[in-house]
Amino acid sequence: MILATLLTLAERKWSAAIQNRMGPNRAQIFGQTFGGVFHVVADALKMLTKEDVVPADASWLLFSLAPAFNFAPIFCLFAIVPMGPAVVMGHGFAVTPQIANPDVGLLYVFGIASLAVYGVSLAGWASGNKLALLGGVRAAAQMISYEVALGLGLVGMMMAAGTLRLDQMVDMQTKHLFGIGALPAWGIFLQPVGFVLFFAAAFAETKRAPFDLPEGESEIIGYFLEYSGMKFGTFMIAEFVEVVTLAGILTAIFFGGYHLGFFGLDEHLHDAVASVVQSRFASNPAVIEPSIALTMAIFGATIFALKIILLCWLQLVIRWTFPRFRYDQIQWLGWRILLPIGLVNVFVTGLCLLLDASLDLLAGVGMVEIAVCVGLALWQKAPGPARAKPAAAH
Amino acid sequence: MSDPTEPTDSKPKAPDAAPAYYDVPQPDGLNTAQERAYFPAIFKGIGVASKHFFRNFFLGRDPNVEVLDRKGGNRITTVQYPEEKPIYPPGYRGMHRLVPREDGKPRCVACYMCATICPAQCIYIEAGEYPDDPIEKYPIRFEIDELRCVVCGLCVEACPKDAIRMDTGTHCKPVYDRKDIVYGIDRLLTGTAVSHESDVWFKRDTSDPPPDEGAHPTPPLPIAK
Repeated sequence: MILATLLTLAERKWSAAIQNRMGPNRAQIFGQTFGGVFHVVADALKMLTKEDVVPADASWLLFSLAPAFNFAPIFCLFAIVPMGPAVVMGHGFAVTPQIANPDVGLLYVFGIASLAVYGVSLAGWASGNKLALLGGVRAAAQMISYEVALGLGLVGMMMAAGTLRLDQMVDMQTKHLFGIGALPAWGIFLQPVGFVLFFAAAFAETKRAPFDLPEGESEIIGYFLEYSGMKFGTFMIAEFVEVVTLAGILTAIFFGGYHLGFFGLDEHLHDAVASVVQSRFASNPAVIEPSIALTMAIFGATIFALKIILLCWLQLVIRWTFPRFRYDQIQWLGWRILLPIGLVNVFVTGLCLLLDASLDLLAGVGMVEIAVCVGLALWQKAPGPARAKPAAAH
Repeated sequence: MSDPTEPTDSKPKAPDAAPAYYDVPQPDGLNTAQERAYFPAIFKGIGVASKHFFRNFFLGRDPNVEVLDRKGGNRITTVQYPEEKPIYPPGYRGMHRLVPREDGKPRCVACYMCATICPAQCIYIEAGEYPDDPIEKYPIRFEIDELRCVVCGLCVEACPKDAIRMDTGTHCKPVYDRKDIVYGIDRLLTGTAVSHESDVWFKRDTSDPPPDEGAHPTPPLPIAK
């Protein structure tokens, strides 16, 4: 939540940096701007003190409920993101920095994420405004279309991990690939295609550029057209919370969660922590084990937070890099590109797992996929014969 | 507007029979593959955006207001106006001033030349007369509505007495009230005093007519035949 609040500022400052601008820098307390942090406060104050207009044609109850319907599922999603390793305190009481850990794991993600459609379409419908209704329908169609790709993108990873629980998926990714310690079995190496699919689909679910057709603040009016004040602010905050949640889920599934992974760094870190703790608490051996676990949990949470920030940054960069899709392009991308690729990916993953259960073959295929992509990006064709210049005009 | 007599094609043209000026070079096979794969271009785009990001976010900004002369990798070109003011180019003239004489009075003789030529009609002059002075007239009120002024400089060229100049190098200050932007003599009469050898107060010291005026009567105008 705090991260999402800060992201509202980060979006403005970072986008300014991307576009060679200064960004907001005027809100100050005692002459200090602290990089613009006070703009968060100023924004919140502005949102809270603005007039809350409810259109005469709107259905008051649904109009007021819609922001909550939009907001709640996204917060619920964050409940299952494992933010650090479990700490076993005394008497076998384990504290997990994960609010809920249902066995259905990822299915919960899909289920709750699709609930957000209700908030959006309700907001459009209850506004009593035809344009808002159109925006809501547009948003609902887009979100439902991308549910499919969203699910298919993760199927491969579920197959590779053999579980739906996020904490087990994170632990699965501490394995080392190819029998050497250099490379962890991160989802991005096992399932690069799945990652791209899930990332694109989840981006469409967050309704941010280049998939921001449902909103389209200035050109094609979106579903929260009639909302003002903090109700609008709720929609906006929900969007940023969605970014953070997406980053959290991506981290847990594709980027090794709270583990460092590479070159056995986790083991080195654990050994270093263990030696320090043992030397400090040598007189009291009972607290050594919990202390090590607690320290590791703090490190793990820090690593996880850093990864989340990195992924949020990536999302903002993407948001400020790409122009908006046209609506038919969105549907084309969802149904004609992402869906077949997702299906093929599921079959290829299944085949690889069938042939070699140790994930190495799957990782090899993933490496080839990454290599092809990088190669395509870097490969410049040698300059051919120069084209004939057009005849000079007389 | 199409000419109705112009013969028009009854059949629509086949899409492959494009006119010659549409024959732009098309990407060849590899480029097409690169473009069809989307991701190379996407990565390049992210690369460009993040290059700008890292450059502008982590490299310090040179506060030099001359944007083109800024050093360092930071590419933010903003000039933070109230704190940093851009330097005016050397040819900049700026707001008007009424040029004072050595004795502090305006050189202006209230001839209305500037008010007449002003295309924006932003100069208002009320003339008064010195009771006993080689210069008979002077402006009681001389007001320029700086909101109307188009800063064309015609008044400066029209002035026969070098009494109005645009050499302050400042611009008009923003105000909260329209009344405040009508500049009177009190605000226009600034800057260094100017006097020329030809100035009338160096030639004579009373407002009497020159003594020899009657000896040389004005010759009669030639009559057109």
